[in-house]
Amino acid sequence: MNTRYAFLLSLLLILSCRKDDKDMIDGPDLNDLFGPFTVIQPVTPDRSVVNFAADGPVGFNGELSKNTDWEIKLVGASTGARRSITGFDRVISAENGTWNGGAASFPAFGLEQVYMEVHFPNEPGAPIIRDTLTITGLKNDEGILITGFENGTGPRWSFFNQTTVTGGIVCGNGQAAKGNCYYSWNGTVGWDWAIGSVMVKPDSGTFNLPASASNLYFNMAFKAIQNVGPTNSFMLFWFDEDDDGDGVFEENTEDRYTHEHWSTGTDWDLISLKYADLQFDEDGNPVTVNGNGLPEPAKLVSINVFFLANPGNGNARAYADHLIFTLDQPYTP
Amino acid sequence: MGKKIILIVSLLVPFLGWAQRQKFQINGAARGYYFVNRLEIDPELDSITTRKANYGHTLFDMGVSVFPNESTEVEGIFRIRNELGGFWGGGVAFDVRQLTLRGVAGKVVRYELGDIDLSMTPYTLQNFQEEGVVNEADVFALRRDVVHYDMFYQNDTWRMQGAQTSFGLSFDKFIKGLDVSSFLTRQRPTDGIRQPERLFGGGTLTLIQSDRLQLGLNSVNIFDLQRTIPDSIQYKNNVHTGILKFNQPLNEKIKLGLEAEGGISNARYVNYRDPKAPEKRNEWFYDAAAKLDLPTTGISITGGYKDIGADFLSPGAQTKRINFGRFPGLFQQITNNASGRPASYTDFISGATDNSYRISEQLMPYVAAYTYSNPYGLATPNRRGAYLKAERLDSTGFRKSFLQAALLTESRGTGTLEKKRFLLIETGTDWYVNDHLGWKKDIKLDVGLRYELTRRGGQEFEQINLGSMMVDAGLSLEVVDNLDLMGGLKLWRAKGNALIDLRNRYNTIENFDIVDYDFWENAYAGGVRYRFNPRNALSAQYQVFNIRHLDASETDYGISQFTILFSLAF
Repeated sequence: MNTRYAFLLSLLLILSCRKDDKDMIDGPDLNDLFGPFTVIQPVTPDRSVVNFAADGPVGFNGELSKNTDWEIKLVGASTGARRSITGFDRVISAENGTWNGGAASFPAFGLEQVYMEVHFPNEPGAPIIRDTLTITGLKNDEGILITGFENGTGPRWSFFNQTTVTGGIVCGNGQAAKGNCYYSWNGTVGWDWAIGSVMVKPDSGTFNLPASASNLYFNMAFKAIQNVGPTNSFMLFWFDEDDDGDGVFEENTEDRYTHEHWSTGTDWDLISLKYADLQFDEDGNPVTVNGNGLPEPAKLVSINVFFLANPGNGNARAYADHLIFTLDQPYTP
Repeated sequence: MGKKIILIVSLLVPFLGWAQRQKFQINGAARGYYFVNRLEIDPELDSITTRKANYGHTLFDMGVSVFPNESTEVEGIFRIRNELGGFWGGGVAFDVRQLTLRGVAGKVVRYELGDIDLSMTPYTLQNFQEEGVVNEADVFALRRDVVHYDMFYQNDTWRMQGAQTSFGLSFDKFIKGLDVSSFLTRQRPTDGIRQPERLFGGGTLTLIQSDRLQLGLNSVNIFDLQRTIPDSIQYKNNVHTGILKFNQPLNEKIKLGLEAEGGISNARYVNYRDPKAPEKRNEWFYDAAAKLDLPTTGISITGGYKDIGADFLSPGAQTKRINFGRFPGLFQQITNNASGRPASYTDFISGATDNSYRISEQLMPYVAAYTYSNPYGLATPNRRGAYLKAERLDSTGFRKSFLQAALLTESRGTGTLEKKRFLLIETGTDWYVNDHLGWKKDIKLDVGLRYELTRRGGQEFEQINLGSMMVDAGLSLEVVDNLDLMGGLKLWRAKGNALIDLRNRYNTIENFDIVDYDFWENAYAGGVRYRFNPRNALSAQYQVFNIRHLDASETDYGISQFTILFSLAF
């Protein structure tokens, strides 16, 4: 009898070790793959009047019947600025659906109404959810703004325009990349690539940039309108450094770093470049400069923004806006 | 009197006595195998595929065993194969089918080097039976045996290349004996670029306490050798199990027993940069059964319970013989769209499928209509439940009868918290009708039946309801001395739906394939066999196969085969 009891006890001991995975699922959720799609709670912003500077980002809330791809599209009513927020979650909340007021690219959002649409691209027949927000305060830009041309020209700026070119700040026509104003060149120069330039300088001394060039980015909005294309027009930048600190840039003895950016299309284009990369050409070779050869943003005393276009293509037209330095990463509109 | 260790040489080297008398031995096998295949399909569906495919071969496996001394044997099997129509050397292939060195070192340790056949337990290393067999008739088994012979599927072993050793110790107190064995094989060489060299090793330690109690430890381990490629990736899979065998005769008519195996598996993907690669995957399992033997009646009944975790990975025990991810070699593409033809019964029997010759780290594709409950054998992961086996052996009449049933569920839901439930029943018998009639010539009726039902509840997209039934039957009739008439049929009916797991290379389920089945798959065969002696036979048979779908969008077709098979072993 003892043997039989030992026998049964052994069996029971083994059976008592059962695993229990009742709350776990192997593989993707079938409901997400094949379940019916419904909107349980429509996706809405947590407030319809938004002051990003004062109140921070907007959160979106909603609930779906399954995890599926969703996309919140935001379009500025006046600027045409665009931003898209995407996700794959059944519940949309501030954790996975927030907007800090920025756009995907230039133009940036202004003080305007924003049209919101929520799409579900993998759910045929799904409704499109629509709503409207009103921006009453723009997001705070992180970076060192050189100029957005909003306050006119500086006292030490200098300008060049060919005789047939109109160049200067334009405001109030809703064409700016950010804000209300931008710099414009427009004219036909049949004898030369040079169209016009604006040399931006601080009111005194330097721009007060940090010393390290390795994590500093220069950013500018550029829009070519006529004479467009990668062989037709480009922006040429001069970054002049006062290496000896005497308050005057000497072209023959100090560093002037240059950078070319060719136009690609007629939309606003965000030009972003790391300041440290100015010391190399496009092949990665060191460029020849006349100073100490070190990119030193703290010694930067002027930035020349020069528009050039193919003289054989007739009229040339372009805009520039929002010169800003950012740390660690390129600017996000 | 202290412990006295007795070496058990006689258990390990049965061939040595014979070897003392001879230095050289030749054995081998020969075969002639000829096929006439015909594809039957609606000409409107397929006007491009050639309807006939005829081929055949003759081969000779010459085995040479040399005994340089009384404790060493060198065995080589050389294959000469001549394809039908390959006259004057064209189409002739010469291969070394096997090269093995074996012997006993110091009259203690048995060793084998070269081509070795390995098998351990159903959860560590075992080459389990492929689909489509319950109690197969001779007319089908004749041809399947050819496939098994060519693929080295001898019983449940895997053919590998490497070395194995074993020895046994016996004691005169406390325990009766101790058996130790180990092996190390090379699974694949490195390609020098992306694929590191892979080894597979393991061993068993079996403690025989008495005739009633046996305890054992098993371990199998796959591992990549680092520094065999520039990258440092390394795949490892370890399975360690313990076994218990206990039996207790209650009296002369009743014997009770307990058999159990339990253990752990551990898979690791070291230094893989692919974010899908799990760092490690650990799991455990057990399988425990009570056994009742009634020796006087020939009846044996086993009832057990098992729980195989969802992440249990044991490539040595889970590798399928048939790779359902590949299309068979015969009539590989059919229809005017040149669609790949899925493997079916006829391909399993004729060997036209893509068959595994080494163990696979990935859980291979399967067809739920053929088996949904145990696609990876007894070691199928994510299965839990009770099972029952009953067997009756007799010397006359129903000489071998069996019934197996299992009621299983998933231990973890796949894609849902709802779990699949499986019912599997297999039964069959070998009925020697002549025993009842008092005839000496065999009239053998083989009958097998397999029924499987899989269900899952939940919402409509979660529900599964798949039933399949197979009849596997045949008749062998010895009409005159050594001349057999043979007939057989395999009928498979499957109806329902399934959601097949689609796994990535790391065995993670990434998606599910929705499949609807509603078909009949039938094979009928008849033939004649003349046995020159027990190891030499000539047979001719004709087999008709067809698959008929009740869904008009699926392709119906059939394959008829006429074969002549001459087999000789000496």
